[in-house]
Amino acid sequence: MSIKLFLLLVQACGWTIVISVTSIVLGLALGTMVSAAMLSSHRLLSLAGRTFVSFFRGAPLLVQLLLIYNLLPMLGLNVPSMVAAIVGLSLCTAAYQAENLRGGFASVPTGLLEAADMLGLTPLQQFWRIRAPIALRMTLPALTNEAIMILKASSLVSVVGVIELTRMAQDLSASTFKPLPLFAAAALLYLVINGLVATGAQALERSFRWGSKA
Amino acid sequence: MTKRIFLKTLAGAAIVLAAVGAHAQDALARVKQAGVIKVGTETAFAPFDFIKDGEHVGLNVDLFTEVAKELGVKLEWVLLPWEGVFPGLEAGKFDMVGGPATITKARMERYRFSPPIAEATVALLKRKGDASIMKPADVSGKSVGAGKASAQLAQIKSFGDTLPAKVDAREYPGNNEAYADLAAGRIVAVANSLPNITYVAQQRPDTFEVVKPAFGLKSYFGYISRKDADSAKLASAVDAAILKIKADGRLAKLQKKWFGDSFETPDAVTTPNI
Repeated sequence: MSIKLFLLLVQACGWTIVISVTSIVLGLALGTMVSAAMLSSHRLLSLAGRTFVSFFRGAPLLVQLLLIYNLLPMLGLNVPSMVAAIVGLSLCTAAYQAENLRGGFASVPTGLLEAADMLGLTPLQQFWRIRAPIALRMTLPALTNEAIMILKASSLVSVVGVIELTRMAQDLSASTFKPLPLFAAAALLYLVINGLVATGAQALERSFRWGSKA
Repeated sequence: MTKRIFLKTLAGAAIVLAAVGAHAQDALARVKQAGVIKVGTETAFAPFDFIKDGEHVGLNVDLFTEVAKELGVKLEWVLLPWEGVFPGLEAGKFDMVGGPATITKARMERYRFSPPIAEATVALLKRKGDASIMKPADVSGKSVGAGKASAQLAQIKSFGDTLPAKVDAREYPGNNEAYADLAAGRIVAVANSLPNITYVAQQRPDTFEVVKPAFGLKSYFGYISRKDADSAKLASAVDAAILKIKADGRLAKLQKKWFGDSFETPDAVTTPNI
């Protein structure tokens, strides 16, 4: 395989990273809201949260992407490829992250919250200073797992017209008719990206441990 | 409560009306107004559409550049995997499909085809120097690959039925997976249209070889539009542009450039053999 082809793969990697990172961040924000909704004592709100999770966790991502890209235009909303890709991945990962976070929030000891009440912290302060940090620490390994899953699942967005790493490898092998070196190189690039994600997450976990000792 | 339902219905009706209003012009008028024709295709169908050094190139790219010139508009490609192309066409993500499909009776019932732009007759690709396959009938009783749901797959199946021993027709997600399996020795041949496999054999002459002659019924490649009143004028304008490009010799030149040879094709879509 020539250097030129490899550089094209690296370039396509850029899209894989942009789409995945944007989706993971948006998904985390949305997932936090959904998990808060699920834990809410308001019955309609928790029903809405659970419905969201059961749909976006229950239907295959590929099907969701095709629905967003091809069904919405029929309702008069024409979504560009990149938007459809990011929206699809974000909604899907939000559902998984919401479930992870729900476990994290549930594990916050009630004693801590009672103490916070006594000290006069408002519910919002309690959320940001006590519940969210604990939930995040508890769920960090699961969130890392989810981030890696999304990086790999991003290969599905080629179906809505985004040329990311896997699609580029497919396209290039369709003109060289030598698929093996291209897919091997693509696998290597995925391993490198995910290796970096895992290393970063480990460092974050370590720093969290230091923080809790202090 | 009733008032609220009434208001909701009204709002719903307004949205529907607005959507209908936006489509009052037909496809040709919209293309002219926007100054852009959007064409959907895949990028794994060499030599029609493929990625070379990062650029989308092929006969379709050159031909549609000429068509857009004739229409006086710019050309914009929407590049999808093949399985996403027809849903995209029906959802109106683009104006027509610029990846050629074999003109078949079944497809003509649902879509409108442009005049033929190349021959699509099916032939076999084998491993270089495989002496057991010297003519198409030699695949009798052996495994042959083709793209899934393709016109070529249907043809290798019916050809297999005419042979002494049935052909094991294997379906692949795309032609490129079938070529890879042929190189790996899991199948003895791949059935695909002559222009495609000729190109493959040219690219990897040490690995592949075309089995002559073609075994399939004579068929042609054409481009695809929606078969509704909205698309009718645009499709006719594209047809006229293609015929003009063919008449002045530009099409033959492009065929020579990408296939190494030019084809005799009829000017209008005739009743397909398949």
